[in-house]
Amino acid sequence: MKSLVIERNVARFAAARVMAAVAPGRSAGIGPLRLAEQDPPAAPAADWYPVLPSLSGICGSDLATLDGRSSRYFEDLVSFPFVPGHEIVGVAAQGAVGAGGAEIAAGARVVIEPVLGCAARGIEPPCRACATGNTGDCTRVAHGHVRPGLQTGFCTDTGGGWSEAGLVAHSSQLHPVPAGLSDEDAVTVEPVACATHAVHMAALRAGEVVAVLGAGTLGLALTAALTHLVEVGRCAEPEVVLVGARYPHQQRWALEFGATSALPADALARAVRRRSRSLALGSPRLGTQQLTGGADVVFDCVGSSESIAQSLSMVRPRGRIVLVGMPGRVHVDLAALWHREISLAGAYAYGTEGGAGGGAPARTFDLAFDVVARHRTGRLVSATYPLERFEEAITHAGQAGRRGSVKIAFAPHAERSASKGPRR
Amino acid sequence: MSPRPGFVLEVDRSTPPTMFWHGEKFALERLPEGSRVVYAPEPSEPLADPVAAIRHALLHPLGDRAPLPDLLRADMRLTICFDDVSLPLPPMQPPDIRQMVIEEVLTMAADAGVDDVVLVAALALHRRMTEAELRHALGDRVYDAFAPHGLLLQHDAEDPQNLVHLGQTDQGEDVEINKRAATSDLLVYVNINLVAMDGGHKSVATGLASYRSLRHHHNPQTMRHSRSFMDAPASELHSSNWRMGRLIAANGVKVFQIETTLNNDTFPSSFAFLQRREWEWSLRDRATYGATSAALSATPESTARRIFHSIRSPHALSSVQAGEVEAVHEVTTANVWAQQGVEVQGQTDILTMGLPYICPYNVDSIMNPILVACLGLGYFFNLYRGKPLVREGGVLIMRHPTPWAFHPGHHPSYIDFFEQVLAETTDPVAIHKQFEESFATDPWYIHLYRTAHAYHGVHPFYMWYWCAHALEHLGRVVVVGGDTAAVRRLGFSPASTLADALEMAGDVVGPSPTLTHLHAPPILLADVR
Amino acid sequence: MTARSVLGRLRRFPLVAPPWPSSLPRPAPERRVGLDYDHEWSRRYPVRLARAVVVDNVTRPVARLLAPPTIRGVEHLRHVGAPAIFVANHTSHIDTPLLLSNLPVEFRHRTVVAAASDYFFDRTWKAALWSFLLPAIPIERTRVNRRSADMAAELIGQGWSLIIFPEGGRSPDGWGQTFRPGGAAYLALRTGRPVVPVHLRGARTVVPRRPRHDTPPGGSGTESAGGRRLVRAPVTLTFGAPMVPDDGEDARRFGVRLERAVEVLADESVSDWWQARRRAGAGRTPSHRGPDASPWRRAWELDRSASTVASPSDAPSWPKR
Repeated sequence: MKSLVIERNVARFAAARVMAAVAPGRSAGIGPLRLAEQDPPAAPAADWYPVLPSLSGICGSDLATLDGRSSRYFEDLVSFPFVPGHEIVGVAAQGAVGAGGAEIAAGARVVIEPVLGCAARGIEPPCRACATGNTGDCTRVAHGHVRPGLQTGFCTDTGGGWSEAGLVAHSSQLHPVPAGLSDEDAVTVEPVACATHAVHMAALRAGEVVAVLGAGTLGLALTAALTHLVEVGRCAEPEVVLVGARYPHQQRWALEFGATSALPADALARAVRRRSRSLALGSPRLGTQQLTGGADVVFDCVGSSESIAQSLSMVRPRGRIVLVGMPGRVHVDLAALWHREISLAGAYAYGTEGGAGGGAPARTFDLAFDVVARHRTGRLVSATYPLERFEEAITHAGQAGRRGSVKIAFAPHAERSASKGPRR
Repeated sequence: MSPRPGFVLEVDRSTPPTMFWHGEKFALERLPEGSRVVYAPEPSEPLADPVAAIRHALLHPLGDRAPLPDLLRADMRLTICFDDVSLPLPPMQPPDIRQMVIEEVLTMAADAGVDDVVLVAALALHRRMTEAELRHALGDRVYDAFAPHGLLLQHDAEDPQNLVHLGQTDQGEDVEINKRAATSDLLVYVNINLVAMDGGHKSVATGLASYRSLRHHHNPQTMRHSRSFMDAPASELHSSNWRMGRLIAANGVKVFQIETTLNNDTFPSSFAFLQRREWEWSLRDRATYGATSAALSATPESTARRIFHSIRSPHALSSVQAGEVEAVHEVTTANVWAQQGVEVQGQTDILTMGLPYICPYNVDSIMNPILVACLGLGYFFNLYRGKPLVREGGVLIMRHPTPWAFHPGHHPSYIDFFEQVLAETTDPVAIHKQFEESFATDPWYIHLYRTAHAYHGVHPFYMWYWCAHALEHLGRVVVVGGDTAAVRRLGFSPASTLADALEMAGDVVGPSPTLTHLHAPPILLADVR
Repeated sequence: MTARSVLGRLRRFPLVAPPWPSSLPRPAPERRVGLDYDHEWSRRYPVRLARAVVVDNVTRPVARLLAPPTIRGVEHLRHVGAPAIFVANHTSHIDTPLLLSNLPVEFRHRTVVAAASDYFFDRTWKAALWSFLLPAIPIERTRVNRRSADMAAELIGQGWSLIIFPEGGRSPDGWGQTFRPGGAAYLALRTGRPVVPVHLRGARTVVPRRPRHDTPPGGSGTESAGGRRLVRAPVTLTFGAPMVPDDGEDARRFGVRLERAVEVLADESVSDWWQARRRAGAGRTPSHRGPDASPWRRAWELDRSASTVASPSDAPSWPKR
């Protein structure tokens, strides 16, 4: 039974890092990832169930790990060797009990909520975050009876989605897939949940100007989530949602998911300026322009030094920047943050949303299922690959935008020949 | 030999290829047999002594006006307004006609001891002129006498303190113009009438007006009913300006109008082939054409642009008249037609044109896609009297590289218009309704217009409205050799060669269409019978 | 040991100057600029020699290249022995080098220039530069300072000639300004040396005084990009007959007479000596202060009078076809 495995190998991480700098997205061959024969992991405790993944997405954070770009902060939050893949739809290998006590028959499709909270770690009583349902903020994240790993897909004991052998998941991590959703739809539930959480984090007020930087999976999922949450009344309606999308297909998707307009990144700043009726400082020719006003909320779905600097240059004083894309060590001038009293907040995972003004409390994953059902985000899955072709898959994922794709996924159990080619 | 009038050539087997302008380049195209090419008249004889002519015009005004010296008193307020950098095209070799006229006017004012004199550049919503441009237009003598004392102003359509609302015309049009000009004892307006559209009441009513006033005639409805701008009686744009001009006069604003016409001598002798008929090209012309084309294709775009924008035209003064606005304008228009008019029999299915590197709004700047559309559909299409050169439902084929490029300092609102407005719709009426107000009142554009050298926020809309009549009239617009994405954004069809463009046109106008090529510049006005 | 700590060690006392204890009052540093500048060194023999080399080989050729001069009335100087006091109108920074380098050689290397202390002597390096180049001595623009007057008188006593611009600064618009009382007239009375009036025309074209633009409301000031700095243009220097105070004439009255004399030279430089004399005799010499009119008309008149004179054949300043 084959799995893709990441081992702690300093030389390989370093090599990947160099390669990534030279030729982005081409580091898979020499990086720390390799195809290995592995047995399925054993259940760490009684309420853990085996799952066989049918699709598992390649996430931006996975690529960062493979390229050695990931922050060293995560070193103590993962356990080596691990099988990556935390965007997972699969089938239950045996009858199971899912989150909230749902009955799951053997062979039924499930989506994994990968965060490993106190419940999964067997920690009693749970930490304060887990007790309030915000498992993403769990304070016992590297402790308990599973080895360190902030999520399934980063932990030796649980396994991950990029595996034929399968993984084990705690009952609190299992969500049955409604019949109406395809596997492609279901594999996008996890990123959509991240986006749904980010939208709640921003606490939008009516009539605000919203800018979304980046239109990869996260940016598009966020646009879709925002549109849906406004429709169902869980979020105030912004005046405009402007999405910075570099490639034409990203622009089409952003408009499809309800963006007011979708423009290339340099045009985004101009659109934000016009919509917020601000003035600007600095030279437009040098690209160092700083808006005097700007957007009320900027969702940074990239997480690079450039994108954070860009967010800072286009958010209004006392505006909010929500970091949705995973940053690493970045170099950012914070003078504007200080002077303009900007809030810069991270939005990592999910838990329970609402309560104060955001509608009735609800699990982020439940909301995400609704968003996926409404917008059919499975359409963003552009290509799936068998595990054997992992180098090709990783390269494709690294160049997704350029190649007209959005989400690339592994299909560990698909027939070798039946794998889908790139799809728009 | 007296200059030859313009004429229409019928292309046959022995006709050499026709020169097309292509931005900062040229191309030779073989037009199908039976096509017609409309050539501009040759430059008329310039006035032998322009200074004497100007002095004579000031001393012998037309219509109900006394000679200028009789209108000047020591204790009066005198304001001299002049056309901005958009005229003439290309900018003329020094001395500029404005300098020659204004120096004569000032000499008379100095002799009369007039202390309170202010010069105002009649910008309307155009960008402010730079010091170099003002020095070029006015000469150092005038610039140095006025600018250091703050007596050389540029009209600011967004300065409420310096605007005055004079009332509404019988059609409910607001008339709001420059306060200094309106409250002067005498307003001397110095025009350059490059085309028949310029001058008349449009000088003051447009050049010195505010947005509040301009919106009454710069809108899709008026533009669609201006057929064409070059023929004032048939132009709703001009009717509106005339109503406003008469209201201004009725408010006691005394205008002493000075209008000047230039001959067609557009390009310096180093580029003589540009205004010569192809079959008359000498060895030297052919050599210059070959060398220039070869050099240009090896030159980076920005350098080529700089080279072309440094061309100074040898335009010479062909007539000058002064006095009461309407009397003066009648003579001026006749003079413009005498130089530029060409009689053309009947319309055509396909109209072709090569667009040059310059239009009124990109002097020392970049000709962005919106300006390309405006030059083709707004200006060249409208160079007619009677009927458009191309029939209704016909096809317009233009040649221009149409780069997706903008001058961020001069055209900031154009960038947003192109990226954000044209991406949604290209319908002038919808654009007018949905977007105009937010651009016109945008504080950033207003700031740049007032303090830097930017066109007003609403200016790209006006460019698009200029096209409104052509957009409604034409079945299709094809751009040959343009940036594909930019051409599509304009709502036009891109083609890589003229042959492709003709094929595409055939789909619209049917097989064996008639074709007419507008061989301009030099500028010509087609009198279509 | 890191480089940083080595550097840190080197930056400590006694390798660097000690700090002053904050409990002790610190005496104010000695001021040695402005009127107090000690310029005695600039008249020592080696310095004079060096200056003569610079003036003859740099200042004079450059000034002649930039502003080819027409010199009138230099014969008046033939009968004046050094030292003398030169008074001139002042429109441009180039006036001083122009006048200095066009003085006859017997004056050229033994002349000091009275220069405003607030502009030319406000920094040590500037004071040193101008003391060497011209040589300049500091004076106050607005009034006669006893010390600078004593200094000037002493230098004249030692045989140094003096150039002084009695308008107290460059003209803001090209027209003359009222001569400040005292100065040249006072020194003439005190030392008994003659005063030579000089008129300079055209210098303002070469190096214009850059106007402080009245930016219109909201103006960004970006316009001045196209402005001019240096223009090659001909200049005219007109020297007048040397003047000495009449018996019983005081400095004020003599000063007024000097101003009239420069006015007559101004007239002479645009017409000829005879016409200028006749107009002076009839009391019709045009005022060098220009017409009492609005700024534009003053500018217009200035230009008109200058251009009709410089080349009467082509009155308009642009070329004819």
